[in-house]
Amino acid sequence: MRDRSAGCPRNAWYALAASAEVGSTPFGTRALDTPVVLFRVSDGSVVALGDRDAHRPYPLSLGHVDGDTIVSGYSGFAYDRTGACVRVPSQAQVPYGARVPSYPVREEGDLVWVWLGEPSLAERRPPVPVPWLTDASWETFGGQWETAAGVGLLHDNFGDITHVAVVDPVISPPVLAGVAPALEVELTETTVHFHRDWPAAPLPEWQAKISGASATASYPQREEGAFLAPGLWADRWDVVIPAEEGGTQTFRFTHAVTPVDDRHTRHIWRVSRNFAPGAEASDMLRPIFESYYLKVREILETMQQVIDRDGYGEDVNVAADLAALQVRKILRRLVADEG
Amino acid sequence: MTTQPIVREFEADLTVVAAVEAATDVVALTLAAEDGAALPPWTPGAHIDLVLGEDLVRQYSLCGNPADTRQYRVGVLRAPDSRGGSKAVHAELREGATVRVRGPRNHFPMVASPRYLFIAGGIGITPMLPMIAEAEASGADWRLVYGGRSRASMAFVDELAAYGDKVTLLPQDEAGFPDLDGLLGEAAPDTLVYTCGPTGLLDAVEDRCAASWPAGSLHLERFSAKAPASDEEDSAFELVLQRSGLTLQVPADQSIYEVCKAAGVSVVGSCLEGVCGTCETEVIDGDVDHRDSILNDEEKESNEFMMICVSRCRGDQLTLDL
Ligand code: FES
Repeated sequence: MRDRSAGCPRNAWYALAASAEVGSTPFGTRALDTPVVLFRVSDGSVVALGDRDAHRPYPLSLGHVDGDTIVSGYSGFAYDRTGACVRVPSQAQVPYGARVPSYPVREEGDLVWVWLGEPSLAERRPPVPVPWLTDASWETFGGQWETAAGVGLLHDNFGDITHVAVVDPVISPPVLAGVAPALEVELTETTVHFHRDWPAAPLPEWQAKISGASATASYPQREEGAFLAPGLWADRWDVVIPAEEGGTQTFRFTHAVTPVDDRHTRHIWRVSRNFAPGAEASDMLRPIFESYYLKVREILETMQQVIDRDGYGEDVNVAADLAALQVRKILRRLVADEG
Repeated sequence: MTTQPIVREFEADLTVVAAVEAATDVVALTLAAEDGAALPPWTPGAHIDLVLGEDLVRQYSLCGNPADTRQYRVGVLRAPDSRGGSKAVHAELREGATVRVRGPRNHFPMVASPRYLFIAGGIGITPMLPMIAEAEASGADWRLVYGGRSRASMAFVDELAAYGDKVTLLPQDEAGFPDLDGLLGEAAPDTLVYTCGPTGLLDAVEDRCAASWPAGSLHLERFSAKAPASDEEDSAFELVLQRSGLTLQVPADQSIYEVCKAAGVSVVGSCLEGVCGTCETEVIDGDVDHRDSILNDEEKESNEFMMICVSRCRGDQLTLDL
């Protein structure tokens, strides 16, 4: 049987944390089977180092940050932002070559992006900008957690949203319950965009409520999905409401996915909107989206368990899978390029 | 009711922001969106289509810096035997002109390796430029042998000067042909060979690598289709499209690509002669008669993918993931 999983490229930017999670207390995490510690130094920038003391197998994230260094909570070895050991408590001489790996970091969209692959390529493949996450004209909320499923299952999930009406009829725009219009897919070497233009239909009740728009009038709707990089999806949903009734309402859904290992993925999700500003509306929306994404997590975790138990099957693909299949093709090639 | 998906490649009208003569008969075009918007990312070895007219689509390797997300650069040779593509580029694409661009796509990707041997002939230097920059940045051990008709005809020589003696320039009128036996007579350990250029050079490199290099060492890109390996009569066969749930008949005088299009199945294609890789499709079942100039022997044998613009089926039935 052909292996249907695509693997994960190392030469890519992955969001290991939200900016708010990283401060002067070390933040320990894993990505691509590699332990990483993140912390902020005095100029406010984030440093990413291998999360393992060079002296003994003890995570640096259990130590503390001291100025521009991180100090092991066992050996007392201190490492600077380049990962070089600069101080050991037991002797004046720093042991030659004592260091931990250090990784390129970029902060973009209030997320901490780390490059764990070939270091010289980090400069040459800049991270994809996500300006709406910090732009004041968009109101954003979100969450993050680990999903006990391989990242390929998350990609497949974002590649096709026709399951939303099945999984969560409450959140689902009513139009999704009908027959899906033709999917239009646009390819480049490393990205896949897709969209569907849905016929006019009413808003979901909750959206009408928070935005003050009519709950019964029908508006055309457009679905868009975009695989922008191995660690980034940016999807959107537009409800085309005439200007005199308040104008188009757009949601942007940003999913930063980081493979922790073969069977676990860190998922940072953000929901941004260009209407109904304010914390009150966000407080109403958050539980709706959170409960949907939690349902998705539970389903993907179940799929992972099925794969663990019974292996990959010859899953039947349907027309709607086109985008997801193209994503797998890109990922397979990027992995192959790494030799 | 049909809900067959439609698939296409990214397309945009870009502006020629610079057109400079890079050598005799070679123009280097820098393209950007009019509003300066970011262009789709790419990796070394990628190419784009320039859509120069209704039936005039030509492929050109990207030869700029992939980190520059706002500009593409291509190098175009005015080919004496040009079917019109390169002539149109030279005549019409001056600074300020607009050109329709499709892609990028990549069927000549750069695989990570500690050592590389790059062999370029003429305008085949273009995909090598970003590869070399990447090899140099990663600290790989690399060498470029670059041949051309004459020094004046060889583009981007000034950019290569910075690499010193890692680059060997071989203008044919001064230095003759590259010594391929010397270069490739014996397989070098852990080395990948990348080559691009005229058919004669590529065939010669291919022969030598086949004789003494491990499978998978050679990566090459052709600008034009390889001579057909057989002149067997084409035959008809049945085509099953699994995802669409369709069964079609492919007559002897039509390609799979044409039959799919006619049936309203959305397929992408560009060169339609088996050199660009746009129409690559996953094979589910059947014995493929590969006719393209992209897949290597190993890939052909695996029977996993095929180029549906030229390749056919040896048996009676072929099932594709379409
Ligand atoms: S369209 Fe170019 S290879 Fe088939």
